[in-house]
Amino acid sequence: MIQKILFIFCLLYITLSCGEDDNQNQGYSPTPVNIAVPAVFSQLLPAPEIPANNPLTQEGIALGRALFYEKNLSADNTLSCAGCHRPNQGFSDQRRYSIGIDGIAGFRNSMPIVNIAWNTNNKFNWDGSANSLEEQVLEPVINEIEMHNTWPNVEQTLQTDPRYVTAFSNAFGTSTISQELVAKALAQFIRTLVSGNAKFDNYLLGQATLTPLEEQGLAVFLDENRGDCFHCHGSPSNPLWTDNDFHNNGLDENFTDLGLGDITGDPAQFGLFKSPSLRNLAYTAPYMHDGRFQTLEQVIDHYSEGLVFSPTIDPLMKTVAQGGVQLTPQDKAALKAFLLSLSDHSLANNPAYQNPN
Amino acid sequence: MFKKAAFLVLLVIPFMACDKNEDDQVQQNTPVRIDFLHSFNEDAVDFSNFNTIQYTNGFGTSLSITRLRYLISQVSFTNQEGIKTLVKDYKLVDLSQDNSLAINDILLPPGAYNLKMRFGFTEATNTSSIYPDLNAASWNVPENLGGGYHYMQLEGRFLDPGDTPDEPFLYAYHTISAVQNPGPENTREDTSIEIDLGEITITQGATQINVNMHIDQWFENPNLWNLSELNGMLMGNYTAQKMMQENGQNVFSLASNMSD
Repeated sequence: MIQKILFIFCLLYITLSCGEDDNQNQGYSPTPVNIAVPAVFSQLLPAPEIPANNPLTQEGIALGRALFYEKNLSADNTLSCAGCHRPNQGFSDQRRYSIGIDGIAGFRNSMPIVNIAWNTNNKFNWDGSANSLEEQVLEPVINEIEMHNTWPNVEQTLQTDPRYVTAFSNAFGTSTISQELVAKALAQFIRTLVSGNAKFDNYLLGQATLTPLEEQGLAVFLDENRGDCFHCHGSPSNPLWTDNDFHNNGLDENFTDLGLGDITGDPAQFGLFKSPSLRNLAYTAPYMHDGRFQTLEQVIDHYSEGLVFSPTIDPLMKTVAQGGVQLTPQDKAALKAFLLSLSDHSLANNPAYQNPN
Repeated sequence: MFKKAAFLVLLVIPFMACDKNEDDQVQQNTPVRIDFLHSFNEDAVDFSNFNTIQYTNGFGTSLSITRLRYLISQVSFTNQEGIKTLVKDYKLVDLSQDNSLAINDILLPPGAYNLKMRFGFTEATNTSSIYPDLNAASWNVPENLGGGYHYMQLEGRFLDPGDTPDEPFLYAYHTISAVQNPGPENTREDTSIEIDLGEITITQGATQINVNMHIDQWFENPNLWNLSELNGMLMGNYTAQKMMQENGQNVFSLASNMSD
């Protein structure tokens, strides 16, 4: 009982001593926001994962949106996040490799950044190099072949812009701009990039009908003896259309890019890359982590006849000895038709995702 | 200031009023933790042992493990009065995820119990798409293969006796409800397995229960498993699924029951 009374007195002391700070924060009242969850996601998926230390707010999302299109994040004020994650390209980049501010190309295709709020394993990037979205957004700014800036410089640049000083104060209760708060705001906006309005979503809701070819393609996708795509790329029950996991899908006998293995140092993970979502393939060409395939036909051909063995190949590439699953031309055409039904044609024009600057 | 003081006084009252019940509760319930361990021919297996061909199954095939995920459901403790307490509806164990290897939110009164769980889902609970976390984990089984969810995904590489290790073969030992006539007119048969782990004594203080999966048993008892013949596309193979169910009967056992 004595311990409990002491605890209450401690609580009283802390409460009273915090009074002054409360006054200082009187003007800080961001408006909580929930992600607009598509109906299919509500039915089938867990609630989006929002970190407790970075809840979504109207002010934070608006700030993040402005920062997403802010070219002043780059050293020469020419490149924003949207420069390589373009809304009309599925928030990816149709160039095989994005070009940084110094004219230097990267070595991986820009990864689409939609439905990130459902990235359940909290591994980001093709190689899993970031453990949170807040961590992920920090790196491109200082990457020498991307924005090639420094965070102190970014903080200083933004601090001199009265619009941002006000926006940070409204979003986070402080007018002191830091890389952590920039990351939080960007992460909030990116978490609102949701794609769940494809024809196939509407089919699941009973509001659209698949063509016979699309239905055949779905059957190929779900057939363990033909496409067997569902083990890594979701299914009508997993509308993310990815398992958010890492695989070696038989692209190369020898690796020039170690992928996940480059991060972990584990030879067993050499050549493993994150399964991308199959949403919005109509907009996200080229395909694979290095953008080696320009067309969906080439992707399908790879799984059908182009698999090659390497020591870390995923056991799900079970037909590698035959080069692949040997789809018929009809199966290939059907599979392509089905895959395109996963594209959300309303994504690029969503008013909430446009450049506000 | 007055409001804050009043608030704190109100806070004190429930603390004092709850004293007796709280103490009773502490005496009644004690934490119980179930850990899932794994072995192959008595060698402990965890994620750090993956990807190396180092195990030999009953058929004489050398193999590695690259992935092991499985579903446990209906974890229950039944006391000596016959009262059953369900402590977990289902759990996906994934050896690549440390935080999936235990059930650690159990509180039970000390005493003797019978511990049971199930490998996979029963027919009644194996309904397509109804578990959001399993959907996000891509644990589903397509409708043409009966729908519902996987029971286990055990994958890796293997070498037959005399093979060179340069290019091992691949296997995907996936267990699901056995399905006949894969396709739109399929029929499904429950192949989940009840695991009766026998009597457990829970004492005051933290109790840890270790449940071990003998991975080697999937390949040999009673059906000696020839990976050269049965290594993939097993989901739609009714006979293979029934054989897996038979082999799974003695896969799980209690490893030890430690109390402190």
